[in-house]
Amino acid sequence: MKTRILFLLLLCAVILATISLVKSGSRIRLAGNDQGYQPAQPIAYSHRLHAGELAIPCLYCHSGAEKSRRAGIPAAGVCMNCHRYVTDVLGAVRAEEKLAGEEGRDPVPQTSLELKKLYDALEQGEPIVWKRVHSIPDFVAFDHRPHVAAGIICQSCHGAVETMERVRQEASLSMGWCVRCHRDLTGRTEAGKPVNPPLDCVACHY
Amino acid sequence: MKMKEREDKYGLAQIGGVESPNEVEGDDAAPVGRRTFLKMAGFSMGAATLAGCSRGLERNVVPYLTLPEEVVPGRAYRYATVCGACPAGCGILAKNLDGRPVKLEGNPDHPVSGGGLCPIGQASVLGLYDSARLAAPLTDSQPVAWDEQDLEITGKLETIRNGRGAVRFVVDSCSGPAERASINRFLDSFPDGRLITYDPLSVSAIPDAHLATHKVRALPVYRFENARVIVSFGADFLGSWISPVEHTAGYRSGRDPKFPEQFSWHAQLESRMTLTGTNADRRWTIEPGSTGQALSQLASRLAGHHGVDDSLPDGALNEIAGRLLAADRGSAVVVCGVNDPETQILVNTINDMLGAYGSVVDLAASSKQRVGDDSAILHLVDELTADGVDAIFFRDVNPVYDLPSGSRIGAALDGPMVTASFASMRDETSTRCRYACPEPHYLEAWGDSEPVNGTVAVRQPVMRPIGKSRPLLETLAAWSGRPASAREILREHWRTRVHTRGRGGLPFDSFWDQTLHDGRADVEPLPVRHDAMDRTAARPPQQLASRREGSFVLELYPSLAVFDGRHAHNPWLLEMPDPITKSTWENFASLGTEAAARLDVQTGDEVRIEAVEGEALTLPVVVQPGQHPKLVAIALGWGRSGTDRFAKIGPQWLEGKPTVPGGGLVGSATGSLTTGTEVGIVATGKTRDLACTQIHHSLFVPEKLAIPGHERRPLVRETTLAAHATYAAHHEHPSLWPEHTMEPHHWGMAIDLTACTGCAACVIACQAENNVPVVGRDEVFRAREMHWMRIDRYYGREGDGQDVDVVHMPMLCQHCDNAPCETVCPVQATAQSAEGLNQQVYNRCVGTRYCANNCPYKVRRFNWFDYPREDRLQNMVLNPDVTVRSRGVMEKCSMCVQRIQETKSTAKQEGRPIRDGEIQTACAQTCPAQAITFGDMNDPESQVTHRKNDSRHYLVLDELGIKPVVGYLDVVRNRDEKAEPDEHA
Repeated sequence: MKTRILFLLLLCAVILATISLVKSGSRIRLAGNDQGYQPAQPIAYSHRLHAGELAIPCLYCHSGAEKSRRAGIPAAGVCMNCHRYVTDVLGAVRAEEKLAGEEGRDPVPQTSLELKKLYDALEQGEPIVWKRVHSIPDFVAFDHRPHVAAGIICQSCHGAVETMERVRQEASLSMGWCVRCHRDLTGRTEAGKPVNPPLDCVACHY
Repeated sequence: MKMKEREDKYGLAQIGGVESPNEVEGDDAAPVGRRTFLKMAGFSMGAATLAGCSRGLERNVVPYLTLPEEVVPGRAYRYATVCGACPAGCGILAKNLDGRPVKLEGNPDHPVSGGGLCPIGQASVLGLYDSARLAAPLTDSQPVAWDEQDLEITGKLETIRNGRGAVRFVVDSCSGPAERASINRFLDSFPDGRLITYDPLSVSAIPDAHLATHKVRALPVYRFENARVIVSFGADFLGSWISPVEHTAGYRSGRDPKFPEQFSWHAQLESRMTLTGTNADRRWTIEPGSTGQALSQLASRLAGHHGVDDSLPDGALNEIAGRLLAADRGSAVVVCGVNDPETQILVNTINDMLGAYGSVVDLAASSKQRVGDDSAILHLVDELTADGVDAIFFRDVNPVYDLPSGSRIGAALDGPMVTASFASMRDETSTRCRYACPEPHYLEAWGDSEPVNGTVAVRQPVMRPIGKSRPLLETLAAWSGRPASAREILREHWRTRVHTRGRGGLPFDSFWDQTLHDGRADVEPLPVRHDAMDRTAARPPQQLASRREGSFVLELYPSLAVFDGRHAHNPWLLEMPDPITKSTWENFASLGTEAAARLDVQTGDEVRIEAVEGEALTLPVVVQPGQHPKLVAIALGWGRSGTDRFAKIGPQWLEGKPTVPGGGLVGSATGSLTTGTEVGIVATGKTRDLACTQIHHSLFVPEKLAIPGHERRPLVRETTLAAHATYAAHHEHPSLWPEHTMEPHHWGMAIDLTACTGCAACVIACQAENNVPVVGRDEVFRAREMHWMRIDRYYGREGDGQDVDVVHMPMLCQHCDNAPCETVCPVQATAQSAEGLNQQVYNRCVGTRYCANNCPYKVRRFNWFDYPREDRLQNMVLNPDVTVRSRGVMEKCSMCVQRIQETKSTAKQEGRPIRDGEIQTACAQTCPAQAITFGDMNDPESQVTHRKNDSRHYLVLDELGIKPVVGYLDVVRNRDEKAEPDEHA
């Protein structure tokens, strides 16, 4: 009797868990695989707007990819290169200008709610704590530099970030996924550079 | 770790609990059948898999708000600064990653270090992350604010100034010129202020002797590269004497077998076995205390008199005098480690006869690496005892611990005077002082150095200070009522005192920036005026005092690990095997083979060493071949207060024994015993085993398995300079294995055993670079030390027990092309890389340890535990480029593959091939003797290929056919006999 009740309870739990996971849009996969991870960020920064619509090159903000192992999250100072002047969406600024013109007064500077978080952080000296999307285990040493130098485009691993409102982990970032490329990609990359990707363990594990 | 957190998060542990078959056994239920159990198990597995699907651990990433200029996160930067671990003042480059230094390397442009660094310097970065460092100033052991303490001290100093009281400031030679100037300014404001410099490892007799003979109190610079004949009377110039890194580089450059006519001849006459003695071509054991007589005889022999040869062993005087006289004028030198002015005057006389002044012994350059004056500190002790001092300050010195009269000083400090210590940690002197004004670690503060007259360098901070320590420069400025930052004070000193001596006419700001960048600057040396040698200064040496029958003479010598005791809180150094005895975590008494036989004691037996005046010390014995039978030698620097905190270092498991015996300290302090004391030795009948690594990871064949007569394998090849010239190239063994082609690189290494002095700098450099854990004394007993690199020490040609040859052989993973470890791994966790590296993949290893068993070199290390890394501050020293290994995996030398990958990345980025010598493993980089060469064997012009083609090159256990890529160049000693290459173990 007790066995049966337990059995049913477990069955319900598994069904509920499956429903909730399917609803959240993720696929069933092995533990440690975070494909599809798309956390909410402290500032609703849109890659679709910046990288897609405005076509700002990836390396403008993630300049570390060329010089360091890590591509890095840009410092708030980098944002300020533009957002010192751009403080709100164009529509809001125009609307205020129009309204001010109608009312015969100077327009009030407009600041969007999201950008205010950036200005506050800089003013208070409190760094912005972003959620890390692409993360690999500590026993893997990934280096952006040789990949960038070989002309591998960012989207090959990170997906079409320029279409993402909020960044999502597109690839599985598993070892098999890495090795597939290292094995198959011989000759030349998309950029036409000759490559000879290593298949040694110590290329990544040390 | 990650998995555990996930389990907790989703409460899987509870699910598992309910699932356990025991739980479901109810009164009404039938016993759980196999099918039910399997169904249950299947469901719980399914649940676990699903639960594992969503992201377990959220990770944050926090970028800078405003990126500092020139910083790229994740990239390592090197800053030139000056090592402060000892007064030698080696220039170093600190590798900084994400705002903190993780590794120190010698600065190749600095004349003292020449790119090398000793083990103490390598380990000093760990001291930066010592959580026992004081975080705030203390008054009467209570933390206070700086301004509060300043107010109290300045008030008292004002009273002393008005009352014309005596103020004494005690420093050692570590204080740089700017600091000394600042102290002098401070003391000048008192009617009776005096700066006293003393060195616990004093060579004060050498400047004293020069005062007598050359009318200048100066310590010369010894340029061993100019010497063709070196005769050392007990001076351990490769180990601990004045400036070992500089001496090693010079010594080594004069000993290249490629140039046999320039190969120096080195004779060592000493009573105990020193590191320098192990490298000598000829070594004689002399009676302790007889150095004066020996030198006197040598001097008279050199002057043409033939006297009776009695205090030197048979033939020694003839051979030494013959070699010295045969050498060109100015290319022979005599050095002496005895700190006695009369003896040193004799040395000066001989060096003057040999014309060594101006070539090997450079008095004009004059060294400031030991400027201490023994008579000043003796005078101070008298003053203190007579209550004649009103205020006393201690910087970098710990006289209560390191002076034989320490207890008297300690008692005097308890008096009413103002006592302050600048020590960054509580030490024996600091705890007796009313005020503790902690200074930052040398990597956190501004300072400068002038180790050799004319070579100046700025010590720049490489990170922001941890805690609220304050540099001496700032403290003195605050007390003088003119607060300023250390950088301003230093710049002002350099503007007025150093820049004015500058060459090249750069404006000050450019001069300063250039010096910071280069880590050094050449300025006009301060003039050192000295008279010609006064040969009348020498006096006949004192006759040896008659000693009681069966008594011993005590010699206290500097430990090659903890120096004078100032590094006794550094676990890397405490666990570093002593280069000669291979003992760790322990102090011991060395006795000669003959003496041990006479006392009927063996290594590990405890003895009681009693001075005539009652002081006694109980220590375990180490039987040391090559030591005089009347000598007992004990290392300084052990038994420091507070080292009981290392009791729990290493894994805490059921059978684990503490590293430090109950309530004790690491090692035993030598107290008021001094060198030269006559002592009696009694065996206590107890034993205390030493955590000695010599027999661990032995390359010998176990007796039961060996073919009779072949237990010892030929590992070390030794030859003489005379025989070396006629040597045939090494023959190749046939191999059954297929040939491998390594493309595009084939990494290899060559280790020159003639150059290697056995100093163990490589061992600590490797530990720092590769996050090698400290395991504690109990684990060392179980042969579980984790060092990836060890130095095997072999005794050869044991004659009468006193005259032995010693060979040091650095042993690390040989990265065999046909590696035996690879074929036995059931999970392919170890495999050959395309470039000839033997790779160890930690996350694939399941810990069968087959590979370690099958490794003929015994270089693999198993993680028996997750070695505790509980001290979060200390974890800051971990190199982020190297994985920290967890329990149950095998590890070993990776040939610093992180450095290979880093250089490859840089080269690829810059679109150029890798240059020869661009990649240096940590061991090769730090070696002061440049004994280790790493490079690409596919490149016919690389340095390593040249060494591999040398006729001296051989492979250890070549007969196994496993083709190691690490090769050795045999030991060449400058001897006349044309002995065949001697292969011994």
